[in-house]
Amino acid sequence: MAAPSRSFNEVLLTVENISLSFGGVKALTDISFDIAKGEVRAIIGPNGAGKSSMLNCINGFYHPQQGAITYKGIKRARMRPHEAAEQGIARTFQNIALFRGMSTLDNIMTGRNLRMNRGLFWQALRLGPAEREEIEHRKVVERVIDFLEIQHIRKVPVGQLPYGLQKRVELGRALAAEPELLLLDEPMAGMNLEEKQDMCRFVLDVNDEFGTTICLIEHDMGVVMDISDRVVVLDYGKKIGDGVPDVIKNDQAVIDAYLGVSH
Amino acid sequence: MIYREAGQYKASYQADQAIFPIAQDRFVVLALLAVAFLVVPFVASEYVYRAVLIPTVILALAAIGLNVLMGYCGQVSLGSGAFMGVGAYAAYNLTVHLPFLNPFVCILLSGFFAAAIGIVFGIPSLRIKGFYLAVATLAAQFFGDWAFLRVKWITNYTPSGSVNAPPLQLFGWDLSSPTANYLVALLFTVVLGLAVKNIVRGHIGRQWMAIRDMDIAAEIIGVRPMYAKLTAFAVSSFLIGVAGALWAFVYLGSWEPAAFDINRSFQLMFMVIIGGLGSILGSVLGAIFIVLIPIFLNQALPPLGALVGWKISTATVSHFEAMIFGALIVFFLVVEPHGLARLWSVAKEKLRLWPFPH
Amino acid sequence: MGFFLEVLIGGLLAGVLYSLVALGFVLIFKASGVFNFAQGAMVLTAALALVRALDLFEQWHWPFGVALAAAFVFAAAVMAIVAWVAERLVLRKLVNQEGIILFMATIGVTFFLEGLAQTVFGADVYPLNIGLPKDPMFILESLFDGGILVNELDVWAAVIAGLLVAGLALFFQRTRIGRALRAVADDHAAAQSVGIPLNQIWFIVWLVAGLVALVAGAVWGSKLGVQFSLSLLALKALPVLILGGFTSVPGAIIGGLVIGAGEKISEVFLGPFLGGGIEIWFAYVLALLFLLVRPQGMFGERIIERV
Repeated sequence: MAAPSRSFNEVLLTVENISLSFGGVKALTDISFDIAKGEVRAIIGPNGAGKSSMLNCINGFYHPQQGAITYKGIKRARMRPHEAAEQGIARTFQNIALFRGMSTLDNIMTGRNLRMNRGLFWQALRLGPAEREEIEHRKVVERVIDFLEIQHIRKVPVGQLPYGLQKRVELGRALAAEPELLLLDEPMAGMNLEEKQDMCRFVLDVNDEFGTTICLIEHDMGVVMDISDRVVVLDYGKKIGDGVPDVIKNDQAVIDAYLGVSH
Repeated sequence: MIYREAGQYKASYQADQAIFPIAQDRFVVLALLAVAFLVVPFVASEYVYRAVLIPTVILALAAIGLNVLMGYCGQVSLGSGAFMGVGAYAAYNLTVHLPFLNPFVCILLSGFFAAAIGIVFGIPSLRIKGFYLAVATLAAQFFGDWAFLRVKWITNYTPSGSVNAPPLQLFGWDLSSPTANYLVALLFTVVLGLAVKNIVRGHIGRQWMAIRDMDIAAEIIGVRPMYAKLTAFAVSSFLIGVAGALWAFVYLGSWEPAAFDINRSFQLMFMVIIGGLGSILGSVLGAIFIVLIPIFLNQALPPLGALVGWKISTATVSHFEAMIFGALIVFFLVVEPHGLARLWSVAKEKLRLWPFPH
Repeated sequence: MGFFLEVLIGGLLAGVLYSLVALGFVLIFKASGVFNFAQGAMVLTAALALVRALDLFEQWHWPFGVALAAAFVFAAAVMAIVAWVAERLVLRKLVNQEGIILFMATIGVTFFLEGLAQTVFGADVYPLNIGLPKDPMFILESLFDGGILVNELDVWAAVIAGLLVAGLALFFQRTRIGRALRAVADDHAAAQSVGIPLNQIWFIVWLVAGLVALVAGAVWGSKLGVQFSLSLLALKALPVLILGGFTSVPGAIIGGLVIGAGEKISEVFLGPFLGGGIEIWFAYVLALLFLLVRPQGMFGERIIERV
């Protein structure tokens, strides 16, 4: 069952002719696509197709040898990761990248880091401006915690949480930054049906309520067809499909890639 | 049962975020502070001051500083001895060249000097990690050893190589008695320790811990590695520098560069590891432990040796000290990497139920 | 010019001696990923065992050759015990921990070993004679007036180091155990899953490193006498490793040569302008500058981080 198609006017991110290699291995070859503001864009493809590498390029962790990325109208060849964060790009990771020494609450509070400015002196004193700032951001974080229904594990060190909850906390950390573009790398990997439904609900709610643009990598075709507006298909680092889910579903090249027909 | 938290509800974020949210903790800490400030001065002897209390308090401050860098921010440093030296010699130079300044002002200012130098030696940490960074900090240590000895203006061209601190006074009150020394050191440690505890609870502390736990992810969520690491080096060096100045002015009185050599760096590192990385309480516990062990061994070993007919010399005692420290380091790293501080919180967990079995 | 050559050669030869110590580090790191700070303490322990056994056997009037061989065997046995205990009590318990934890554990081992070795074998300075000539000699007398002063012991040390490196290189490349060691260095869990007995491998590695420490201890002990400061050699070896990379045997040699030469030359020609005594930090600052340019050392491997 496909989502009713929505139309979008503004382009938020454009990827142009991106090529990326590590030593002799070509991870991405001449990839171009765009992401419209407010849409849910999926990137799919068999394992090793370069999907995570593509996300890493978008948020500045990998630097492509060729090509450029235009975000919010500004074209750039390379961007440092914290610049991407400052520009409103947040992400989650395939192999959870939470801060294991800290609690759930503290992890999500780090998502607010860019908006907290009180310097060392006020922090040392704590009373007054620093305390007020901390409380103000705590309120935002608590709203995220409510939204994701993780109140009961607020103070638990994240290293002790089960995998599904860790993924939720990581989503919380990304949401706390109030991003314009949310990159999700396999947010539902390793989850059972119920957990996946919860996660889909969260993703759609975020897109709905806050208008956050979402770009997600996902293997579950049911999820992809259900929640995404448009899909990009990668295989062996090349783009082999780009369009609405219904069209992609029936594209021969995509079917061949997944079934492993050599081409 | 004694440590029951039930019934203590937090009605505001402020209450939830307090330094000691649990009432029993607050009580214990205030009681300890009261004893430390008000009771000890009346009961401690000069020996106890000079052998136990003053070194423990000053080294606890240094250990807190090192813990900020190693425990909270995850940057290894084997150069903390040299930074204590920077603080000591900076304070000394201030008293020599600006004699109108009160010595305590000089001690505080020396922290800023140490922080500045700490930032300089912290710059390599932006590119170098792990034990490569440890090697870089050793460069700081050996360079410091050399500079304190050979760069003559640092020691004000003293012929003997050792320098003396000025007498300690505040607004005319003479503060050179052991009790006054102890109280001064305690005041510095408690105030600066509190400041650090506040910093660590806030967003800067979280940045440090994020860098420690996964620096790549930290950068991706917007933590600027340079700001985080250099502030860690700055705060850490400030504390260690002030501790060094206190060590020189309050504890030693007169000193040579050897007081701040690599053995001091190892001593501080042992305190931090045994006490618990990433814990202010751990730094204090570690300091107490490391100061007490040699004293204990000195008292206990010779009689024990006499029991088996072995005459134990002071050199042998120091070898045993090395063996015990080494074994303890391995023990804590294997059994409880979070050190004495974790053992303490485990004990508190058990106190929740004790004396009931479950 | 002659003087410069003399300083240079002296430095190079000192550098070879540093390499001998660095080799032990490289072995252990290459095969287990552990940076063994205790290598210096191992040199001290081996040297102490050697010299005390030798003295004892000579007191018993054993012929020199027999006494020497027996002393080496004794010291090797001591190092085997050290390897076994280290593997059992330290490494086995810290498998899969991060490198920095293991590094700090080896600092603990260092202190323990230093204390123990001095308690058991004594803490004095013991002169060591293993049959290497210690006289200075003059070379290239025809080219330079009076010749260049070189210490014969240092030359022998260079030869011994060369043989050791060749032997180790063969060991790693050609033998089954060598291959297993390289597998373990790459990935503990993967090596275990193909049936490589981790514990045995680690024992072997530490034993070999202990034997390298014995050779280094024998040479340095002959030169300086066996005393506590031998364990501080570990601190000298670190800059060598930075330059040469932690996993490269030839790197340890070249790094040692660069550091040794650099130290001596800087002390003689640069030192007087800075007040002298710059040897203690020169190597480290050199390594630090090097790290800023090439964080993985001359021959080390670039680590690519994945998220």
